[in-house]
Amino acid sequence: MAKMTLEELRALRDAKKNEMTQRDTNEKSAQIIIGMGTCGIAAGAKEAFDAFLDELDSHSVTNTKITQTGCMGLCFSEPTVEVAVPGMPRVIYGNVDDAVARRIVKEHLIGKSLVSDHIFDKPAVDIIK
Amino acid sequence: MHATICDMITDLVQNAIEARATEITLEVKETKTNLKFVIADNGKGMSAVVLEKAKDPYYTDGQKHRYRKVGLGLPFLFQTAEMTGGKAAITSKEGEGTTVTFNVDPTNVDLPAFGNFTTAAVALMSYEFEGNLSIERSAQNKSYSVNKNELVEALGNLNELESLTLLKQFIASQEEDLEAL
Repeated sequence: MAKMTLEELRALRDAKKNEMTQRDTNEKSAQIIIGMGTCGIAAGAKEAFDAFLDELDSHSVTNTKITQTGCMGLCFSEPTVEVAVPGMPRVIYGNVDDAVARRIVKEHLIGKSLVSDHIFDKPAVDIIK
Repeated sequence: MHATICDMITDLVQNAIEARATEITLEVKETKTNLKFVIADNGKGMSAVVLEKAKDPYYTDGQKHRYRKVGLGLPFLFQTAEMTGGKAAITSKEGEGTTVTFNVDPTNVDLPAFGNFTTAAVALMSYEFEGNLSIERSAQNKSYSVNKNELVEALGNLNELESLTLLKQFIASQEEDLEAL
């Protein structure tokens, strides 16, 4: 790949925007929140981040946001990831490595069913007020 | 200790974000004999007393997690320096900001792998905070620089999947260019 300029980046974005506006925009977007505290990073949160990006893109999933947060207080089960899909319960997944991240995309975001063996119901008690 | 240098960088830049900095610069320079990174922020800074305590893994200001007794980010940095004959330094002034510097011989066998800078940069650029992050990156005699403001201007919201995918392509192309002969 040749070194991309900001102008080329802008042009690519504009092309994508046209594609996006042609779609139904009423749909609420799904959100993936990745815990990126010291604990998350040490456990491989960046690998999970990369896997989410790659898997979502390869399945042409759209209308999704990926954000990051600090430690969710579940350091023992890092990397932890919170997933909010409209019409489904918000869940926190633990031990999300590359393979689990790809499963979450396929089963939860696309298939609309929870990845039960990696669920935590809520953040640790000393984190929520 | 973090598994890669890039993990350590991500962690330390997040300290700057959490210190409510509005202007952060990350400089990462590689030559055959030296690997250097500098993270400078204009966040809330620390007093000399707190700065000294921050190097202790059993110190935390207790604001983020009330019952936690550890803070490992900075200790990881100093541990890595100590184990590899590198030099880590941190200077800070309350109300003005903090600068973290790390220099090491890249051939030292005890040094963790460098890691994936593209992912680190994409993660940091898309971390939501009110402020700008500038990256100055060089390897041997090639370099590039990029900042968050210009990326937001080109891509819009960086947390949207479409923007993230393009952002990754963009940073990857800059990194590939650094490695090309």
